[in-house]
Amino acid sequence: MRDLFGYVGRMFITFLQDLTSIFHLLKETLVQTALLVTDRKKRKQARILSSVDEIGSFSLALVLLVSSLLGIGLTVVIAFNLDDLGLLNAIPGVVVVTVYRFLAPLLVGIIVAGRMGAAFTARIGTMKVTEEVLALEVMAISPVRFLVVQRFLGMVIALPALTVLGSFTAVFASLLFCVSRFGMGPNVYLTGILDVLTPTDVLSGAVKAFVYAVSIVMIGCYRGLIVEGSAEEVGKATMVTVVWSTLTIVVLDTVLTTAFYG
Amino acid sequence: MFTIQNIVKKYGERAVLNGLSFSAEERKITYILGTSGGGKSTLLKIMIGAVRPDAGEVLYEGRDITKVPERELDPYRRKIGMLFQQGALINNLTVAENIALPMREHTALDESIIKIMIKMKLELVGLRDFEDLMPSQLSGGMQRRVALARALALDPSIIFFDEPTSGLDPIGRSVITKLIADLNRLMGISCIVVSHAVEEALRTADRIVILSLGKVVASGTPQEIRQSSEPLVQQFITGSPDGPISFRASSKDFREDLLVG
Repeated sequence: MRDLFGYVGRMFITFLQDLTSIFHLLKETLVQTALLVTDRKKRKQARILSSVDEIGSFSLALVLLVSSLLGIGLTVVIAFNLDDLGLLNAIPGVVVVTVYRFLAPLLVGIIVAGRMGAAFTARIGTMKVTEEVLALEVMAISPVRFLVVQRFLGMVIALPALTVLGSFTAVFASLLFCVSRFGMGPNVYLTGILDVLTPTDVLSGAVKAFVYAVSIVMIGCYRGLIVEGSAEEVGKATMVTVVWSTLTIVVLDTVLTTAFYG
Repeated sequence: MFTIQNIVKKYGERAVLNGLSFSAEERKITYILGTSGGGKSTLLKIMIGAVRPDAGEVLYEGRDITKVPERELDPYRRKIGMLFQQGALINNLTVAENIALPMREHTALDESIIKIMIKMKLELVGLRDFEDLMPSQLSGGMQRRVALARALALDPSIIFFDEPTSGLDPIGRSVITKLIADLNRLMGISCIVVSHAVEEALRTADRIVILSLGKVVASGTPQEIRQSSEPLVQQFITGSPDGPISFRASSKDFREDLLVG
């Protein structure tokens, strides 16, 4: 029993230390981002657009596929329950709000965390092992500026964009499904959406995506930067990144969903 | 130029460096020799300010590098260059981009001038036609030469070498050793080389420092080292398995260990 307390206690302390370090990294990233954005020459070198492109095109197909399947699945579940009550016309409203407010940000966040967060850790961790990060430091080049800032900017642009796209795709898939399965007129579906959807619904999804983007970049880069030793450590760190960023997104999602309705 | 005093560095309970002192002179080649795992790389990392020792100081131009806050190290780091063991080139940049990196970062030079500088640095290491290749397309020895060209980018006054010849074929080794000598004699760059290649050290060094168990056991010119009567030094330069440095690294009594364990 005592061992258990010790174990939980140590875990908690490590967690707090990691959290503090991540916030330090975030602070440093913001400082370096500000420096970069105001410096024309360095901004050109940073290739922010190529980073957006990398994150976006790596995850785009996956996001589109998952969102459309999700839209259909959600519609089936809701329709099954609403049909008995004779409320089929309420489907669009329920689907659109659920997707924009909750499902799309959550799922796109998790997909991108698994795809890009892991890639960030693997890439930076490998650079750590091969002493490339140390080489940057010795050249008096900030590793945060060189390795984190570009990914940070790429992610805070790409993830909200992917989320908006994913939400739209899910709703569109749901529309197609309703039209073909229940013979609902597309205009009925669209009216159903417009009756319910508010700007807050759309905006809350985008805000969530922004918060998740910051979390994914910070966890992914931090885990990579603290790798010490061998290639095996890179593998472990990558695994930790996927677990932590997924967990963080789920926890934040609950908090933010509640907050936006509060 | 460098005065290193009583450096102690522990990893957990194990002291890797245990009260180590020596000095390195300007415009000279100083070889730091020692067995593998003897704390040589740690010493180098302390000298470039990447690792903080538990005690002791590294004086450079009257300043203690180990006490300078991270942010204020940059001016010092702009004066030094370092050749890492495996080169540590940025893998997703081409050879030219790697060499241009410190110049783009720290100078306001025009791109056309940087282009010329890249060619000059590559010519120094004999790889002028390799500009557009990626590091992974080069052999280990070539990667190290490119890394040396990068270390030379900002015309440093000191270059640190971390085991520059380990893992290379005999020709690759002598190419690197010759480059070290040339940089020193032709350009007056101070070279601090951490290595276990005794022959190369005896041939190229102005001064040799031998480490064992985290301390300096001998230092002097190659001539003095060769003539040293110290058994440990003799064991080291002849590479004999018998001598003060035992084949057994563990300190506990074997019989006791078996009975207790």
